[in-house]
Amino acid sequence: MGLDARVMPAAPSGRLRLAPEEHRRLSRNRRLKREVLGWAFLAPMFLCFVIFLVLPVLGTVWWSLRSGGLAGDTKFVGLKNFIDLPDIVGASAAVTNTLVFALISVPLILVGALAIALLLARIERGGSIYRFLIYFPVLVPGVVAALIWLFMTNVDFGLFNGVVRGLGGKPVVWLGADHALTVLAILDVWRNVGYWALFFVAAIIGLPKELYQAAELDGASAFARLRYLTLPLMRRIIFFAVVVATIWGLQVFDTALVLTSGGPGTATTTVIYRVWLYMFGATNKIGVASAISLVLIVTILLLTLVQMRLLRGRRGGD
Amino acid sequence: MTAEQHARIRVRQRRRREFGRHLVLGLVAFILVAPFYYVLLASLKDSTEIFSYPPKLLPIPPYFGNYRDLLWNTGFLRWMFNTFFVATSVTVLKVFLDSMAGYALAKIEFTGRRLVFLLMIILLMVPIGALIVPLWSMVSGLGLINTYWALILPPLANPLGAILMRQFILGLPRDLENAARLDGLSEFAIYWRIVLPLIKPGLVVLAVIIFTDQFMSFTWPLIATTSDELQVLTVGIAAMRAHGGANYGLWSASAVMSLVPIGVFFFVLQRQFLARSLAGALKQ
Amino acid sequence: MTPTDTYSGPAIELIEVAKHYGKVTVLDRVDLTVAPGEFIALLGPSGCGKSTLLKLIAGLDELSHGEIHIAGRLANYLKPAERDVAMVFQNYALYPHMTVRENMGFPLKMSGIARDIVTAKVDEAASLLQLDAQLDRFPDELSGGQRQRVALGRAIVREPYVFLMDEPLSNLDALLRVEMRAELVRLHKRVGRTTIYVTHDQVEAMTMANRIVLMKGGVVQQVGTPAEIYATPANTFVATFVGSPPMNLFKGRIEQARFRGAFDTAVPARVMPGDVTLGIRPEHVEIVEAGEKEALAATIDLVERVGPDAYLRLTTQGRATVTARVDGASRAKEGERVALRLPPARLCFFDAAGNRMIVDKEG
Repeated sequence: MGLDARVMPAAPSGRLRLAPEEHRRLSRNRRLKREVLGWAFLAPMFLCFVIFLVLPVLGTVWWSLRSGGLAGDTKFVGLKNFIDLPDIVGASAAVTNTLVFALISVPLILVGALAIALLLARIERGGSIYRFLIYFPVLVPGVVAALIWLFMTNVDFGLFNGVVRGLGGKPVVWLGADHALTVLAILDVWRNVGYWALFFVAAIIGLPKELYQAAELDGASAFARLRYLTLPLMRRIIFFAVVVATIWGLQVFDTALVLTSGGPGTATTTVIYRVWLYMFGATNKIGVASAISLVLIVTILLLTLVQMRLLRGRRGGD
Repeated sequence: MTAEQHARIRVRQRRRREFGRHLVLGLVAFILVAPFYYVLLASLKDSTEIFSYPPKLLPIPPYFGNYRDLLWNTGFLRWMFNTFFVATSVTVLKVFLDSMAGYALAKIEFTGRRLVFLLMIILLMVPIGALIVPLWSMVSGLGLINTYWALILPPLANPLGAILMRQFILGLPRDLENAARLDGLSEFAIYWRIVLPLIKPGLVVLAVIIFTDQFMSFTWPLIATTSDELQVLTVGIAAMRAHGGANYGLWSASAVMSLVPIGVFFFVLQRQFLARSLAGALKQ
Repeated sequence: MTPTDTYSGPAIELIEVAKHYGKVTVLDRVDLTVAPGEFIALLGPSGCGKSTLLKLIAGLDELSHGEIHIAGRLANYLKPAERDVAMVFQNYALYPHMTVRENMGFPLKMSGIARDIVTAKVDEAASLLQLDAQLDRFPDELSGGQRQRVALGRAIVREPYVFLMDEPLSNLDALLRVEMRAELVRLHKRVGRTTIYVTHDQVEAMTMANRIVLMKGGVVQQVGTPAEIYATPANTFVATFVGSPPMNLFKGRIEQARFRGAFDTAVPARVMPGDVTLGIRPEHVEIVEAGEKEALAATIDLVERVGPDAYLRLTTQGRATVTARVDGASRAKEGERVALRLPPARLCFFDAAGNRMIVDKEG
């Protein structure tokens, strides 16, 4: 729409009092002013965006093609880092761990959140209290959450084993190689289920009520209403949640660092954890670190694009 | 007669269902909140009580040694100050920059704004954690490692705020700004005197989002600082866990203490916090 | 002293004003000259470009082609505030975070006028509009009519050279609208400023304006006084848009001074033979005795009584539908068979393209 000024004098008729060139010059000036104005408003934020987000993304590509350490003296090695990636035990384990983590936590978070939301949207009284309580873990920094869970998962006096003992079972080594990643994922469920529950509540409340009244008149059971109304109507919302929750899940780092220090062994070393180790550990594999970062970034970008396509579809190609 | 009976059965049924929902929700809420009580309890016990079994469910008499320890023998107060200083600076700067950018994207027609917006949407989800290699080398190249600038500047890049602000400003009636234009306001005056006051609720929501994200952020502060002086809360607690040896009493006290400010904020600004959950829906 | 004080030419001149959005033409070369003090109504259905034209005059949108002169100055490149115009918006566009007093005084404050003068002017406008009691309230504490007045007051205090109004009454209920209509006319007489008034309501345009600019699809259809527009519509669109119920139109041919279509009736001798559309206003359709000369037999399908008048929906033998406007006391009944006559002197003729044919009635 900023283009129309350019069409200015289509066919000079001689009735205009100002010469076409004058019109052109004046409208060009005005357009220029608007351009300057727009960019002036945008610039402060946009500069930060370019310097601290766009450039680092490009920088990741650049670094991923080099070898060496943070100290300097890196050299160009082409795609070697990517070709080697599957064979570097630490790196491939990190990718696997992160994927397994997301695969456990995301479905649990979303199914749990949806169940809570379905109940929460229908209760008549006391909703705000539940909202407050359910949302509270969301506001806990990952580091603090991990500290709390470190405590609860302690083999000797932790809450978990307290419960297990109370039920007559044998104490479990929660943070051992068998369970550590699962515990980490459950911790993530604890932290995120409230966020998505309230997200879904908002979506459910926004659903058209008439449909439900009609369904009820048609004699649809509660389950049928869920199966044939709520879930289909919320398909896109749920898909959005799946994508975003997955993207968040792929970034897991702080809880792994505090709860298990990535261990035992590399059992809970996630992608970002590995990048950090490569950067500051003795290994100095800055190129490999960037290569796995790039894998993460590209995965996230792809998920974002899928998301955008879907949302675009909903608006009818706007 | 029968209609009345039907109605009564209906009411009873509804009540029973409502009760069932409360039961399940209550259980869920209890499970989600129990860890907080557990850690609060532990923070008020001395080391022998913590390890004793069966555990005491009420800390009587309460033991405050862990808190004394935390406040005087660790850098906790310093961490807290750093977190607040950085989070406040980022919030103030970002609300200002983002609302300006949002105004440009929503209301001014300039070349490239669609492209800029698209770029922001595409990079919206890229986390700072995936960019630590180039970010670190850039920030250290600028000589900013171990300064507050290193903590404050990179978070300003996140495009979520600008996108949200654009959305909010697009929702304002166009005629309002037209009226202002006829009243002789400059473009900046329209932004400052008309748009900002009208999107105040949006600004508060944005501020809450930025502040809590900043309060919880860990990866970048961990990498951007090595000096104890500049550690923020999350980094300080992680360092305490890594280096201090297992001191469960101290740990739980630090957990409780770091939840106090956010809990108070949450209580006061509950509505805005919950809107944070909805911000996701606006992210498109 | 503004430059407009000594200027005596046309208040507003639009020359070939056009607006395109991409390939869509919203306004197509509009020409218009407005005399000082005139009340002009821009009338047309929604999407006809009338609001766009108003925005162009106000400077809230940019022209694709053409020139706008206000008080003899080329306004194309002036900022809205430099054009000496004030605008009343459809949704009032009051600043919700300011009181009525602040809202009304804001434009003056922005142009750097001393505070006591601002206060005096706001007080004066407030008493003119009977808003004295509301000055310290916020817009959301006012009724629709009061908001409307505040929006007017905000325009009045500026004492602009031109008032621009964008459907200012469309959000009021019917009763209030009639009241405000009269008030606006009074106000216009009193301040005597040039006013351009956008509306889709023909009654507003007919009752308030000195001249009406009727638009459709971005093209001006006719410019004229309300009486001209009503009596001599330029084309079939104008004929049907103005007047309620609208003018009856029948397609057919002229042969030997007779109209032949769904029915056959005499027309003035001067009408050129060929395809035409014949038009007649409902109030000119005469209900006559059967057997009278040129009488057409018809059946009454529907009688709509609207108090003083009654509208008869009739079907002729040739299946043409005719609306007639008769006295409200008429005893016409549905299903009744009557005869009607279309007096030749009252007929309008439109050519195949729908444009009015000039017919010398004397002939």
